[in-house]
Amino acid sequence: MRVALFVTCLVDLFRPSVGFASIKLLEAAGCEVVVPEGQTCCGQPGYNSGDRASAQAVARRVLQDFAAYEYVVAPSGSCAGMIKTHYPELFKDDPAALEQALWLAKRTYELTDFLVNVAKAKAVSASFKGSVTYHDSCSGLRELGVQSQPRALLQAAGVPVKEMANAATCCGFGGTFAVKLGDISSAMAEKKCAGALATGADAIAGGDLGCLLSIEGRLRRRGDDKTKVIHVAELLAGPE
Amino acid sequence: MSDALRSGGQGNPRDRILERIRAATGKDAKSATQDLEAVQSRLREHPRGPRPPFNWPELVAQFRAQASALQSTVEVVENLADVPAAIAHYLEDLQLDRRAVSWPEFRGLDWRAAGLQVEQRTVRDGDLVGITGAYAGIAETGTLMLLSGPQTPAAMSLLPDTHIAILRTSRIVEGMEEAWNLLRNEHGKPPRAVNFVSGPSRSGDIEMQIVLGVHGPYRVHIVLVTQDAGTPRELINTDWWRQPART
Amino acid sequence: MARMSGVRADAVAKVPNFEEIRTAGAAIRDRVLSNLDAYLFQFEQAAQARGVIVHWAETGTDVNRIVRDIAQQNGVKKIIKSKSMLGEESSLNHYLQEAGLDVRETDLGEYILQISGETPSHIIAPAIHKSKEDVGELFERVHQMPRKHTIPEMCREARMMLRPHFLSADMGISGANFLIAETGSVVIVTNEGNGRMTTTMPRIHVAITGIEKVIPTLEDLSVLLRLLTRSATGQATSNYISMLTGVRGPNDSDGPEQMHVVIVDNHRTELLASDMREALRCIRCGACMNHCPVYEVIGGHTYGWVYPGPIGSVLTPSYVGLEKAGELPNASTLCGACAVVCPVKIPLPDLMRKLREKSFERKLRPASERLSMRLWGYVAARPKLYALATKLGARMLQWMGGEDKLIHKLPGGLKEWTNGRDMPAPSGKTFRELYAEKKAVGK
Ligand code: SF4
Repeated sequence: MRVALFVTCLVDLFRPSVGFASIKLLEAAGCEVVVPEGQTCCGQPGYNSGDRASAQAVARRVLQDFAAYEYVVAPSGSCAGMIKTHYPELFKDDPAALEQALWLAKRTYELTDFLVNVAKAKAVSASFKGSVTYHDSCSGLRELGVQSQPRALLQAAGVPVKEMANAATCCGFGGTFAVKLGDISSAMAEKKCAGALATGADAIAGGDLGCLLSIEGRLRRRGDDKTKVIHVAELLAGPE
Repeated sequence: MSDALRSGGQGNPRDRILERIRAATGKDAKSATQDLEAVQSRLREHPRGPRPPFNWPELVAQFRAQASALQSTVEVVENLADVPAAIAHYLEDLQLDRRAVSWPEFRGLDWRAAGLQVEQRTVRDGDLVGITGAYAGIAETGTLMLLSGPQTPAAMSLLPDTHIAILRTSRIVEGMEEAWNLLRNEHGKPPRAVNFVSGPSRSGDIEMQIVLGVHGPYRVHIVLVTQDAGTPRELINTDWWRQPART
Repeated sequence: MARMSGVRADAVAKVPNFEEIRTAGAAIRDRVLSNLDAYLFQFEQAAQARGVIVHWAETGTDVNRIVRDIAQQNGVKKIIKSKSMLGEESSLNHYLQEAGLDVRETDLGEYILQISGETPSHIIAPAIHKSKEDVGELFERVHQMPRKHTIPEMCREARMMLRPHFLSADMGISGANFLIAETGSVVIVTNEGNGRMTTTMPRIHVAITGIEKVIPTLEDLSVLLRLLTRSATGQATSNYISMLTGVRGPNDSDGPEQMHVVIVDNHRTELLASDMREALRCIRCGACMNHCPVYEVIGGHTYGWVYPGPIGSVLTPSYVGLEKAGELPNASTLCGACAVVCPVKIPLPDLMRKLREKSFERKLRPASERLSMRLWGYVAARPKLYALATKLGARMLQWMGGEDKLIHKLPGGLKEWTNGRDMPAPSGKTFRELYAEKKAVGK
């Protein structure tokens, strides 16, 4: 299986290790992984800010750069959701691009979803010792139905998951929301942290770096420097 | 365009609003007339929508369970003649007033023998117990269906602290849809007020704590009467009134 | 709110085909909206046949005038009200009081707000922001009665205070949950019984309702009621569902002698004509706000007008103007929780995004925001430039993170991030750089 990795802009800038971990996991599942060079961002910041024209310009590049691969995988429910559910809407008035968008949407997956349902990854292991609580990021959960997949992988790797009551509640990140309405965003992150800490888990895991940056940022600000905040790919791929 | 739909020009709010609606929904004179006919035929057909599976074993038991879940209390007697004694017991247990007002249809019952003083008159503020019948009971939710009318005043089930309803078990139907059939078959059109009552009045407006008895009754007691002439099932299950009267 | 979302989830779980019913509910509402003229016409005919006087109001001002005229022509002095969102839209209470009428809210939550001079913060639980102590203190002061300490005692006291008004009022004003085209009926759903009181005791009943509230038949009502009560309060049914059709008969001992229905446009036809028509499906259950994590943090009053929560973020800009309320659709993470629970499947996040696009197009967003979006768009569509920008950015952020690798204060347009949290700093090189380095080594 030839898989193009959509690294995502946040991973590129903030935590390259998630990208490398994704490659490792995909290769371990028997995929040949390609990282298309021109990629930047999926266009979501523009799309959700109402700047359709900018979003389209950015998304057109994605359509081009990822046209030639059997599968496209992103370590993010948010970016995969953008491509899968919103590109068709974004290009609804441009038949040629729409056709490409629908084709791309069909082949695009969130990482854990792909590993479980397409690559049927069997042997996964985790170097992480300790328990985790899992944050379901909104787009992954509600646009792509990602919920059991990461948990199945964690279970297969022998990582105990302690569920928090508010696992499916938004953490407050919301892309540009986090900088437009920072106070509300932080207050939401605080609720998420409180729910996560109440489980007593050693780490908070998730599938979207945006959420994780917000959660970790809040956790550190409230003085917690013990609880790890980690992307599920890093957790499963172990150390470099 | 049919006369009915023809607007009287730009003169009044009604016509302007309807005109804006037509413009918003892309209608011209012709399509508006056709659509009106389609709408009228839908109203005549009134098809049923999906509803939860009704797989309870027995109607009356379902009604009782649901009514109790909504904090109505339910008891069963055989005959209408048994009702006064049952109500007397109920009031005594709760140490409630033994005076009541009721719908006129219960005038003939021997209330006095049960030690109750029950008047058939218009309900007033200060009346503590109101006794009514019920047009139907809905098993799905344990709900009473009451129709207003000269003999079945609506306020009787509303003003008193305690509402006692006498319901014949033959009038218990599966869901609201069966109740609509009954209503259409027996009355053709709805009376001034159709009230569905599901338990005592309640509010969660202060700190979301549920409190019973806000503006309506504090308690609803349902006395089910099992022996009576019965309601023909075709009134409940069919929609024969819709068929043309002439053949 | 956690409680409210819990009870809904439990109620929905008991209905295996809830999704099917939701789909049917959305279809009923869509059918009405695409034939709204015909359904309103049918409703009007059927209602008039039962002696109802139907009024049409284009604006909130018209609503106020119509209701005042009805009151004055009939020598009305005292009015009791059960909840009417349309009345909130036009500030009806205030207007009627200015006209010298005595107006009493009767929904317990609304009553609490009225005597404290506040506005609702939730459409189903309007006084949800008030504590039991607040209410106890308020009642003591306003009712001049000994202080009550439990909620049941407070409810009893409110009942006692309101009962005389129910019995002495000349006119009752209500909203309408639904209008039924088949029968010309107004349907009102309440738990407290104030809706029944308002429509049974006074000699005049006025129901105020938006044009979109009409539904076809009694069967359709059953479908929508099953959705409404479960979504609103987690109940399989509400305590009181009243279907009111016309005026009292000659031998009736109760019921109003006059029934008026005021059908209101107030910008709804604009919404109907727009690409946001789905918003008019709303049956005002409140589930979207009960499940909204932003609402949970900011509360209902922050939404600034009658409708809070996600549906408010869609309706308010549509009704009062994007210029005045353009911030609302931006006040969402688009997490999608609302759309998942909406009983009539309104795609609320999509509608908010459409409003964001409209504000952006109409240049209603701050210039700095528009500029930064355009700049981002320009750079992100040019990979080489983007690579350079992120390379510099990664180093800059690493430097800002300092020793503990946490940025405590971000500058400029990003500064709100660090109001309440830190930003974990990156390690200095982008994935792109590291991957290229790796590849070079591999070769
Ligand atoms: S938008 Fe949907 S969830 Fe929100 S109040 Fe309306 S019907 Fe209920």
